Amino acid sequence: MGREMSEPTTDFEPRITAFVCNWCTYTGADLAGTSRMHMASNVRIIRLPCTGRIDALFVIKALEHGADGIIVSGCHPADCHYTAGNYHARRRFIVFRELMNFMGINPDRITFSWVSAGEGGKWRDVVNETVTRVRALGPFDAYHELAERPSPGSAVEIGVPIPEVPEPSRSTASEDASSPSAAGEDASPAPTSAGGES
Amino acid sequence: MTELQDLAHKLLDEGTVQVVIGWEDSRRGARPVTITDAEDASRLIFDSRCVHNLATYLNPRRSQVRALGKPAVVVKGCDTKAVAALLRESQFERDEVVLIGVRCGGVVKDPTSDGVLTEETTAPRCVACDVREPRLADYIVGEAQPEPPQNTSLDDMVAKLDAMTPDERLEFWTAQMEKCTRCYACRQACAICTCDRCVVDKTVPQWIERAPHARGNFSWHLIRALHHAGRCVECGECERACPAGIPLMLLNRKVQQIVAESFDFTATDDLDAVQPIGDFLADDHEDFIV
Amino acid sequence: MSANAFISNEQLAGLVAAVVASGTRVIAPVTADDGTATYSPINSLAEATLNGALPNPSLKAHFLPPTETLMSWRQHGSDIEIGSPPDSFAPQLVLGARPCDAAAMDIVDSVMNWDYKDELWNARRDATTVISLACPGIDDSCFCTAVGLGPDSSRGADVLLVAVDDGYLAEFATERGAAFLADNAQFFSAAADTAVAQADESRAAARSAVEANLNVDTKRIEQWVGDHFDDEFWLTLGPRCNGCGACAFVCPTCHCFDIADEQSGVGTGVRRRSWDTCQSNVFTVHASGHNPRGDQNARYRQRINHKFYIYPSKFGDVLCTGCGRCIRACPAGQDLVEILQTIDGKAANEQEGVA
Repeated sequence: MGREMSEPTTDFEPRITAFVCNWCTYTGADLAGTSRMHMASNVRIIRLPCTGRIDALFVIKALEHGADGIIVSGCHPADCHYTAGNYHARRRFIVFRELMNFMGINPDRITFSWVSAGEGGKWRDVVNETVTRVRALGPFDAYHELAERPSPGSAVEIGVPIPEVPEPSRSTASEDASSPSAAGEDASPAPTSAGGES
Repeated sequence: MTELQDLAHKLLDEGTVQVVIGWEDSRRGARPVTITDAEDASRLIFDSRCVHNLATYLNPRRSQVRALGKPAVVVKGCDTKAVAALLRESQFERDEVVLIGVRCGGVVKDPTSDGVLTEETTAPRCVACDVREPRLADYIVGEAQPEPPQNTSLDDMVAKLDAMTPDERLEFWTAQMEKCTRCYACRQACAICTCDRCVVDKTVPQWIERAPHARGNFSWHLIRALHHAGRCVECGECERACPAGIPLMLLNRKVQQIVAESFDFTATDDLDAVQPIGDFLADDHEDFIV
Repeated sequence: MSANAFISNEQLAGLVAAVVASGTRVIAPVTADDGTATYSPINSLAEATLNGALPNPSLKAHFLPPTETLMSWRQHGSDIEIGSPPDSFAPQLVLGARPCDAAAMDIVDSVMNWDYKDELWNARRDATTVISLACPGIDDSCFCTAVGLGPDSSRGADVLLVAVDDGYLAEFATERGAAFLADNAQFFSAAADTAVAQADESRAAARSAVEANLNVDTKRIEQWVGDHFDDEFWLTLGPRCNGCGACAFVCPTCHCFDIADEQSGVGTGVRRRSWDTCQSNVFTVHASGHNPRGDQNARYRQRINHKFYIYPSKFGDVLCTGCGRCIRACPAGQDLVEILQTIDGKAANEQEGVA
């Protein structure tokens, strides 16, 4: 089931941010990589020492910046490198998952998992299942675009759009890799060139 | 002079405390007052308009109240739960404050109204109150009061939201979050918002966007509700303070419901209770974790 | 200025329809199902509730919104592209502004054109025609007359309407207002003497109703506040105050803002200004950590100081229009009517040589 990557049915590829603990899940993800397991490439991993370090703010920040889905993963209970970090995290997850759901953030966009250092296959399954699920839900522009809404009873024109990436001039060497734009804004990047990052 | 006024007069006169924090009448109804002169003790009142949670004046960030000296504070039973939360979190020592508990028969949401208690006017916090006679107190004054009318509108609305789809709820909260102008009245009125430097005021890095657009406001209210898990006593002062009329108590009620269901904890005046966040059980439920 | 034009309810609806049809935005007080009101765009007069609930936010939010973008940027390579807000806005009409709200805009114009000309504020002001509606007074927290204004003041308005039977009397207060009436003359007719008499009577009645709430001498208040920076009186106001921004944010004349950059992506971002309040404990915090207004006594004193001493001594106007919103919004029961009464009393005693 989770072993197979699903075929995309639309052009939309979800962007998933994963907050994982260093000792278990990060190592497990590394194992999945070195074992050459096939998995969707939509996930960007942020490594933390422990799930106990995870603050709901991290998840919110990812959603603000346009993440469509989130994975939060760490050591199994009783296996935490710092003894009890994941127990504290579990309590916090219980509260913020339900509160986010109450405020309208679909819980199907967020996966919580325990993945140990030896569970490369489980990491692959978590990734593939999350990507499939979030792809079906569609993009989560709604959260990121909340910033565009004026407040009621006030001036309507309050925003200034981000300038578009200018057309590259092909004759110069200044065609550096352009910064990727945030979701919702202009999405056509300038062609990359050889040469260092600016 | 009433029992309360006599007691306040005595405490100030004898120098037991330097300030009595209570309620007084004013041009527009009941409001908090700090009495430093024994002769002013006759200004103190207590009636069903006294909805304000005076425990908030013990909050250490109110340096100008601290500067007045050792306080006695008039507290309803619900307010003592906030005092207990502050004591459990070591915001001050038990012997640094005198608690004057007042027997209560319910309060109205609007302190500027006539104070008549009905199912609509009574504050939602009075539902199923178990502390009409305060327990955490040095003195208890006033007559025993009957049970107030029960205003279940808050629980009803939470249930209504629970029954919606996530997208419907997002639409509801987006409309509410658009109204917020980030005045922080909710935070400032709150008895247990005690942080010297609130997370939203930290700019390096800026975790919560400061601009009062719906996205920043969403993040702010979500985090504030989360930071109150197991600490909020549901006094409703945040919602009463909000000049934009946002139903903040829906968030706080939901969080405390989650805490009650998952960790078997409700706001209490028990000084030995262990607050749920910061604690854990080996068998906390994890049905949502794969 | 004597009112000599009359517009019936039907004609007013027609005027609104014509303005809307011409593509100009019309903003009016709109009351929601829960009884609260905002100044919001309307498509027809029927959507508006004139002289209903006092709108919140005040009209200020249409000129200085709770948040607005000052610029945006995209960095690519060593170049930066900058996005700027417009330097002019499409014309719009405010219909049914409360006189306290309209006057507030005029008062704040001074500081917005002082050492720096605020382009966005001025551009929005230039784009907007304001039609005020004389107000009957709302409740015992109104005190516009005490600060030199009134429920029928035309300060800050281009046209003032006064409700009479079946319609409104209209008088222009500015050249722009006169031009507006001339351009839309087909909707107006001559006012009958009975209507004029009715209007005069209702205006006088509204003024006495508000005058009964507070009667003070703002000049001697200015003097007292300026002379008594260290008075013990300020210690009685700070303790009750929560230090929130409710009063400042509902106030039509408060205008402080903070500027912050937000990053929207890698190398892209926006700079916004957002409402701020001197009641916030971090409002005057220095980079060193020192805070010259370190407690609420000092901060609340600042509020009164700024509005009733500093601003009038700089610009000649009290920074308050007596709308009463701060009194109604304060969760802790701070009462500006009571505070002004108390200060006026102290100032009067000093004048008369009483201790």
